[in-house]
Amino acid sequence: MDAARQALSGVASGGPDTPIAECGPGDELAVRPVAARRRILPVVEVLALGLALILPLILQDYLTVFATRVVILALFALSFDLVWGYAGIMSFGQALFFGSAGYGVALLARDLDVTSILLVLPAGALIGLAFALLLGGFLLLGRHPSSVIFVSLGTLTGSYAADRLARGWYYLGGQNGIPSIPSMTLGSYEFEEGAVFYYLALGILIVVYLLCRILVRSQFGLALAGLRENERRIAFFGYKVQHLKAIVFAVGGTIAGLAGSLYAFHEGFVWPNMLGVVFSTQVVLYALFGGSGTLIGAVIGAVIIEGASFWLSDNYRDIWPIILGLLLLLVILFRPLGLISFVLGERERVGGFGRPPKRTR
Amino acid sequence: MANAFVASFEILSFGAIIVLVVLGLGIIASMMGIFNFAQGEFVLLGAYVTYLAYSKGLPVWVGMLAAPFLVGALGFVLEALIIRRFYAAPIVAMLGTYALGLIIRECVRGLIGGLYISVPEPIGGSIDFGAVHISAWRSTIIAVTGVVMAGCYLLLSRTSFGLRVRATLENPALARASGISTSAIYGAAFAFGAALAGLAGALIVPVFSLFADLGIRFLIQGFVAVMVGGVGSFIGPVAGAGVIGTLSAALPWVMAPVVADVLVFVLAIAFIKFRPQGLISGKGV
Amino acid sequence: MSIERTHQTRRRFLSNFAFASGAIATGLGSWVIRPDWANAAEPPIKVGIATDLTGPIGYAGNADANVAKMVIKEINAGGGLLGRPLELYIEDTASNESVAVGNVRKLIQRDKVDMVLGGITSSMRNAIKDPIVVRGKTLYIYPQLYEGKECTPYLFCTGPTPAQQCDEFIPWLIKNGGKKFALPSANYVWPHLLNEYARKVIESNGGEVVFEEYYPLDQIDFSATVNRIMTNKVEVVFNTVIPPGVGPFFKQLYEAGFQKNGGRLSCVYYDENTLNINQANEIEGLASCLDYFKVLTRDDPVSAKIQSAYDKDFPGNFLFAAGSAATGTYRGLKLWEAAVKEAGKVDREAVAAALDHAKIAEGPGGPAEMVPGKRHCKMKMYTAVAKGGNYEIVGRSDGLVDPKEC
Repeated sequence: MDAARQALSGVASGGPDTPIAECGPGDELAVRPVAARRRILPVVEVLALGLALILPLILQDYLTVFATRVVILALFALSFDLVWGYAGIMSFGQALFFGSAGYGVALLARDLDVTSILLVLPAGALIGLAFALLLGGFLLLGRHPSSVIFVSLGTLTGSYAADRLARGWYYLGGQNGIPSIPSMTLGSYEFEEGAVFYYLALGILIVVYLLCRILVRSQFGLALAGLRENERRIAFFGYKVQHLKAIVFAVGGTIAGLAGSLYAFHEGFVWPNMLGVVFSTQVVLYALFGGSGTLIGAVIGAVIIEGASFWLSDNYRDIWPIILGLLLLLVILFRPLGLISFVLGERERVGGFGRPPKRTR
Repeated sequence: MANAFVASFEILSFGAIIVLVVLGLGIIASMMGIFNFAQGEFVLLGAYVTYLAYSKGLPVWVGMLAAPFLVGALGFVLEALIIRRFYAAPIVAMLGTYALGLIIRECVRGLIGGLYISVPEPIGGSIDFGAVHISAWRSTIIAVTGVVMAGCYLLLSRTSFGLRVRATLENPALARASGISTSAIYGAAFAFGAALAGLAGALIVPVFSLFADLGIRFLIQGFVAVMVGGVGSFIGPVAGAGVIGTLSAALPWVMAPVVADVLVFVLAIAFIKFRPQGLISGKGV
Repeated sequence: MSIERTHQTRRRFLSNFAFASGAIATGLGSWVIRPDWANAAEPPIKVGIATDLTGPIGYAGNADANVAKMVIKEINAGGGLLGRPLELYIEDTASNESVAVGNVRKLIQRDKVDMVLGGITSSMRNAIKDPIVVRGKTLYIYPQLYEGKECTPYLFCTGPTPAQQCDEFIPWLIKNGGKKFALPSANYVWPHLLNEYARKVIESNGGEVVFEEYYPLDQIDFSATVNRIMTNKVEVVFNTVIPPGVGPFFKQLYEAGFQKNGGRLSCVYYDENTLNINQANEIEGLASCLDYFKVLTRDDPVSAKIQSAYDKDFPGNFLFAAGSAATGTYRGLKLWEAAVKEAGKVDREAVAAALDHAKIAEGPGGPAEMVPGKRHCKMKMYTAVAKGGNYEIVGRSDGLVDPKEC
């Protein structure tokens, strides 16, 4: 792993920062002198956490329910940011894992009467993991390394095919989906929508977020960072690039599955759109909007887009999809690094491992 | 016997439609390396222009003639303003064109109000061979597709403009060094891709009726077709479209339509996995 | 006379403006319509409408919202209900179940409506019924023709059921078409359950189902199906393919010569809206069975009154038609009004008990009455045939047809 650290610092210090390929032209890179660097990311995270904790106390009932849904979607967005922001896999099919877990737990509840939280949440995560291993294994592993385009189209197709299958399969309810899912239970207590469910979802989000943080700051995360910077170089150092990607993909799928099972019980129904391309693309947009490669960016993106849709659909009933599309286009054009780039420097996105090298006079 | 003939005709006509839609997508993907998620919406615009002309009292074929030019012009403008910023980042391009497609689709939905509108065919009725009836309009679509493909091929292989396009396709840096304005070529290519989509939309609107989600239907099939056929050449996407179109139309004859649906995609992805360069690899015509 | 008219138009303008400004000015509580004479003495009764104002089903949802506005205005003009004014809250379910659930929660938790009417597709009904009936403990009326088997308590259905659409229609089809039936269908719940019932009626009337097939919702190429229909010499096509596939399907069927060879095309959701999907000659002779057709206005004064009131207030693309749940919405609101009057109060238990056996003498297409204990509605059914782009009534039910549900 020291080799990776060397490779990374070889890039980070020395000459100008290597721009990441996803930057658009004309994007400013915040190159600050090392000595004056402040760490803004933890500040952002703490602020977000504080706001999230007090939200139910200041919002009306139905808005708390809405906020719970946003928290679950933020968890979903997190899964995508992990695979794209940290491993460079453009997965257009995260909804496949999200939706399959949702359907899985819905079937458990409908056919086997299983609603205990201790069973359904792990079940959802496992279903997500299984599908991610299957799809990821097929798309990523193999004799020739797969191109980025192939993986993204492969995941897109996977999501689309699952949507069509669910739409056509009567056992899964076809186009209607599976309605009237009973509430999640813990013993005899039922998790109804409201403040309790909100804190449950928030708690899960915080735990998963912290785990992701630990993952990307670990040795494994260093290898991932090297992967993002320069795949070939990391491969030459001896890392099995495809295996690394597959592992991250599987973790992302697990998180998406967890989010999916929460969503199913919170909304009370599952339907084919949960598996489909629109949902998949939505989560990509959350991460892009907020800022990929920062974890908190995905959360922020989800909050902003969902909040904006909510407000717009109230006030500009007929044209809100157009306005949303315009906003997204503007962000993609002019702030491809996401909204968080307004406050966050370039270095905090991927690097930031350990202390910066001391300047010698 | 007649059965087989009808079956082949239907499969051929559906394949021709897919080829038209995918041709533009393939050209844009081969030339600029980006997948245009708004291609389906260009098809929708072509259909809409045709409907608009018809609803104003003009004959349908006038609208059909105008559609490719109008949509191509829009494509040119969009390329200059928006699309060209994406060339360095193909992934972001997919998202940007997705947002663009969303805007176009919702605008059209606002204009036609979520209804399904029918437009009559300029050449209606059927051609009878004894007991077998085949649609005259669908035959026209096959004919037009053939002409368009032949025209494209001739343009690319016999004209000096085509030569410049091929040069840009094979080696953009060298082309630029040789004095060819690649950005103009890219603009023309995008406009042409959009125009093809517009033409496809205009031709298919009598068959499929106009509705706001018309474009989405072809999008995924289009991408898969391009990948199966092979990015980088002209004939690649055509071949891919032919294969996907034929499979999609033929499989429901032999199995349950729902299974056939999913199977086409599974087969396509598996094929691409084991032959990543597609059916026809290599650049050029 | 002319001065009065100017005053009328000015008052009309102001009242419309008041409606509109009331609607705009409420900010986050957007689409609310309050009557002119709302006063503080009597608290208003809140009616919630959750329907698809945007998205593919928007053509139907907007018609339903318009009907609701019309009916509520009429009731308010007559002094309200129980002396209290009615307030209308409209939320958009956007043809999107996730968005719908969020917006329905607004109706229940923020606006605290006394009743919700809405949902058009069955998947929408399934998505929003839980937040309304179970978690929201509110009465829910579903106005659209559907597949039946919805027996949730406090959920009342005022649209036609398979029994109502098939019991009289299929014998007519056998008499005016033939005995060999084909059931090409879209692959989702409504066609599955409808076909199950239709098959029973077909076979008990001496008919035969040659094949029953299901296609993905966006399939647009039906050559295999048309071929099967022609080679098996099918006489009646009982179609449940829906847009976008239905247009190409009917066109391909026509081009293959189905009608020329004497075949009868039938489709039980076809109303005035769907006539525009194909050219008139392609669907000549198509038979449909619904609770209302616009051509009824010629000889039914009640229907004429309702239709003309709607057309006056809402000229444009959103038609008052039976396939878009517009008639079911009208029926549902009037039945609810009758139930509230009988119950004397608005709380769910009392109204549900009264609604259980509510009757109205005047509705589009005829009177209607709820079947006690079943939460479904008896109504008159009409068989109509498309001729030259318009419908002609060829059959009427003798009385009110039983929904035979629950």
